[in-house]
Amino acid sequence: MIGFIKKDLAMIKSNFKLLGVLIVIYAIMGLMEKMDISFILPFMCVMIMISSFSYDNYNKWDAYSISLPNGRKNSVKSKYITTLLMTFIVSIITTILSFIISYINTQSINYEQILVTMFGTVFGTLLVLTIMYPIIYKLGVEKARIGIFLIVFGIVIIGSLLANFVDLSNILKALAFLEDYLIIILILVAIIMVYVSYKISEKIYLKKEF
Amino acid sequence: MENILEVKNLTKTFPGFELKNVSFTLPKGMIMGIIGENGSGKTTTIKSILNIYTKYSGEIKIFGLDNHKNDKEIKENIGVVLDDMFFPEILTPNDINNTMQGIYKNWDSKMFNDYLKEFSLAPNKQIKTFSKGMRKKLEIATALSHHPKLLILDEPTSGLDPVARAEVIQIFQSILEKDECSILLSSHITTDLEHIADYITFINNGEIVLSKTTNDLLDNYGIAKCTKNEFKDIAKQDYIKYKKSKYEYEVLVPNKKEFKTKYNISVIDKITLDDLMVLMIKGEE
Repeated sequence: MIGFIKKDLAMIKSNFKLLGVLIVIYAIMGLMEKMDISFILPFMCVMIMISSFSYDNYNKWDAYSISLPNGRKNSVKSKYITTLLMTFIVSIITTILSFIISYINTQSINYEQILVTMFGTVFGTLLVLTIMYPIIYKLGVEKARIGIFLIVFGIVIIGSLLANFVDLSNILKALAFLEDYLIIILILVAIIMVYVSYKISEKIYLKKEF
Repeated sequence: MENILEVKNLTKTFPGFELKNVSFTLPKGMIMGIIGENGSGKTTTIKSILNIYTKYSGEIKIFGLDNHKNDKEIKENIGVVLDDMFFPEILTPNDINNTMQGIYKNWDSKMFNDYLKEFSLAPNKQIKTFSKGMRKKLEIATALSHHPKLLILDEPTSGLDPVARAEVIQIFQSILEKDECSILLSSHITTDLEHIADYITFINNGEIVLSKTTNDLLDNYGIAKCTKNEFKDIAKQDYIKYKKSKYEYEVLVPNKKEFKTKYNISVIDKITLDDLMVLMIKGEE
């Protein structure tokens, strides 16, 4: 398994510089009290990992990887672990930077706001991952681009229809008591989402022929 | 003799193509060449053996073990070169070395680096900068560096120039001299196999046409060249296929000596695997 993670990391290492540059830009913009781009950084990790699927596809790595010990299971596992690893490391760096920037700018640290923003960002990133990876495994990375477009489009349409026909304010009021536990709920939901997505991807990949 | 690989009644269906009841065995320490034209079923057979294809019927045993139930154990001991399937080309040989250390229990970094030196492959250059011959050598080095007991090579010489092909064949010959490794090798370039294969299995249109020792094939099979009248006298059970040309008939016979004693046909040429393939595929019955 470690080998598969090493291979994925080796593939995306050229993107580490780009991430570093983005983190620096974020810090400078934060210090100048300009736009907050922290939400882009974890999301970039998933996008970089998705580009690794294209490289795999181009050189037919999938078929080759199956000829290696435990190739099918480890291929999927390593994609999820590498993505999570990158997302968490970048999120932790961004959070620490946010604390420092907040302190320099205001001489105080707004822990709650920074943490909620960061957890929200990581949650959104993981949501993209959990939806995209099974689609990529099912359809291949090229067709998955169309698939994800249709899904996002569908979610927006359904969301706007719901907002038109259902009064969400009552639901939000009913759920208000959960606000204190928001971060814990987000973490739990994220864990379940990623696990279910991983299991679906694994099931697809175990049966797939190349 | 212990069998390293046993394939029994392997059947795999695609729209428009079927691999039908393919069966053969590869004894330990031997090389088997699978020959056949493009699209005949060679790669389908190899992909089924490796479980790259999962939906097929039949039984495949490697090292005496079921290839589905013992997938991990089997693959620890197999080295593979597949046609156009390998690591992403943005990686370097060094990346492959690091990766494989975390994949194979028996990965031998020293052996891999020695092969890189022997094949003059720069360890820190991306695969995409390598020529086709260099890539193939890297694939072979990768397949060999965990001391496999069985090598499965799908078209390892296709697309290579004659010099690179000769080099690759030489590499296989030297492996056989060093190790007790068995090799299953598919190729449509049959001259490569005449020199190194102990067994030849010929697949045509998804079916095994013959599976014999190379010596048996090259020593006993022959091409009788005769006139139309001479051909009319040959009994159907004494030849396999024939081909008409402008001036003569080329008749594929399974036993040159017997044929010579039975018929008064003086020209019976030695067969090459190329001749055999062409006559079996294009010849009439």
